[in-house]
Amino acid sequence: MADVILRDIVKSFGSVTALRGLNLQIEEGEFVSLLGPSGCGKTTTLRILAGLEFPTSGTISIGDRVVNDVAPAQRDIAMVFQSYALYPHMTVAENIAYPLKKRRIPRGERTVMVQKAAELLQLTELLRRKPRQLSGGQQQRVALGRALVRDPKVFLLDEPLSNLDAKLRSYMRVELVELHRRLGRTMIYVTHDQLEAMTMSDRIAVMDGGDLQQFAPPNTVYREPANRFVAGFIGTPAMNLVDGELVLSGGDWTFRTGNLSVPVPPLGENAAAGPAALGFRPEHVRFGEGPIEGTVQVVEQSGHENIVVAKFANDLRITGRAPAAQVWKPGEPVRIRIDTAEAHAFAAGPNGERLNRPRAAA
Amino acid sequence: MKFTRKLAFNLFAWAIVLAVAFPLFWMLVTSFKPQFELFRRPPTFLPETFTLEHYWRLLSGTNFMIYFRNSAILSTVTTLVVVAIATVGSYSLVRFRYRGRESLAFIVLFTYLLPSVVLIIPLYLMLVQMGLSNTILSLVIAYSTFALPYALWLLRSFMAGIPEDLESAALVDGASRLGAFRDVILPQLLPGIISTALFAFILSWNEYLYALVLVNSDSARPLTTGVMNMLVSAFNIEWSLLMAASVMMSVPLIIVFAFLQSYLTRGFGAGGVKG
Repeated sequence: MADVILRDIVKSFGSVTALRGLNLQIEEGEFVSLLGPSGCGKTTTLRILAGLEFPTSGTISIGDRVVNDVAPAQRDIAMVFQSYALYPHMTVAENIAYPLKKRRIPRGERTVMVQKAAELLQLTELLRRKPRQLSGGQQQRVALGRALVRDPKVFLLDEPLSNLDAKLRSYMRVELVELHRRLGRTMIYVTHDQLEAMTMSDRIAVMDGGDLQQFAPPNTVYREPANRFVAGFIGTPAMNLVDGELVLSGGDWTFRTGNLSVPVPPLGENAAAGPAALGFRPEHVRFGEGPIEGTVQVVEQSGHENIVVAKFANDLRITGRAPAAQVWKPGEPVRIRIDTAEAHAFAAGPNGERLNRPRAAA
Repeated sequence: MKFTRKLAFNLFAWAIVLAVAFPLFWMLVTSFKPQFELFRRPPTFLPETFTLEHYWRLLSGTNFMIYFRNSAILSTVTTLVVVAIATVGSYSLVRFRYRGRESLAFIVLFTYLLPSVVLIIPLYLMLVQMGLSNTILSLVIAYSTFALPYALWLLRSFMAGIPEDLESAALVDGASRLGAFRDVILPQLLPGIISTALFAFILSWNEYLYALVLVNSDSARPLTTGVMNMLVSAFNIEWSLLMAASVMMSVPLIIVFAFLQSYLTRGFGAGGVKG
């Protein structure tokens, strides 16, 4: 059963349109990430779900209820803010108890529930402190505690980890996934960090310019990006995207740019000869031998591998992953081979759709 | 070189402190001197005979207590009115989006830039027409009109420093808009409210010109004009009573300051509260 449904949501701020007809169906108990660059409309979507913004048009349902005109307090949601938004004048215990107090839960019961939430998040020692006496990670846990203490139907999380240092962030990622598993509640998670989205989500909604680009499980988003934007946005280092044209000869597709010509995996019915782009991930570039000849430009060593950027004829730059054992120096000549079975063809334009034949049908 | 500069700086600073503090000190000692000691030459630095007779005369034989009561009511009510309106007003200016919001804020500031003397006649005529002349209420209205613009701007900057997320969080946590305002905004705004209240209170406690023009019956006079009227005439100034009255007029302000000065410096210094 779908738990959260956004239907044709449009949101304009004056002359700026933040969302252009967003459709999203989130299943009960699902962990969904809204992923996209700044200004893509992901936080606006979350705030509309929370009832803090009103859509210009479209309907929002939570459970079986249309909640367009329902106040945030009555939507049975909880939200964790990027800034945590802890009430500075209240202690940790009072912060966590606040949503219970607003729901007129008797004091005795309240104390028990706060205690339980505090134990779950290891906050018991800190209950009497004020937020400013806590570290970033502790504040973050208090914000989580305040959200989960009253067992809401849906959790909304707005970049909750972005203010933490790298180590704590990876720790909290695991904690959040574990928490989601234990609570079994729907969680909607806004982030611009693709690593968070990839590692935590059941499905990722990739957004750009107020539009949904793709809504699929992390693996699908990575291996079968719906369009050029998703292909370029997901993955570090980013997918190589080369502009050129598709040529059909004897039932086989070939991609050409300059004097380079590579075979392309089978394409679907939406493919047409003409301008297009070829995309291939850095891990599908083999260094050392192959038909394409160029010069190494930049080498980034990360310990377990080297990221090599090489330059080819017609100013073509290709990024690839090379094993750490292979030592490349800038200026050195290099030959590469592209593993074209894993390549993608995209229609021309920044959001050109993917032209490959769907995997199941291939 | 360094030492002499430091010395010069210190001397200079102390000279200023002395220039400010000495009149206050002189006011205090004069109020405790008997009448015959006031004009003695050379003057006595500390009272040779210590007396409380001026205070006694002020409290028992004059209208001082009525004026004091009037001033207390006047300043308290003005402060309450100003803080209440400025709090709600600044909330509107910061949180709600509507046309002309910024220009409204600037018009309000502009009214504060007008010299209050310019407004005194129109205000007087309006208050007479409303049948409010010679009442404490007329002064409350007058003081509110010129304390409000500044109060509004002061509170606006405090309000802008309160993260909007805090209010959003309260709304999601189950509070109504008014509930969020009471539970989250007001406590955060407290330093700003205290600064504003102090400003309004001191302004209405010390105001002289409007009180002189708008009120001329003893039942409604505040301390400033009341004391002047009572003790200063064309032929005689009752110095000792005047000094005793001045001391007593300063006491409430000193008490208020002593309790709230830490908030005041915190308030004017930083408008923001970290979330």
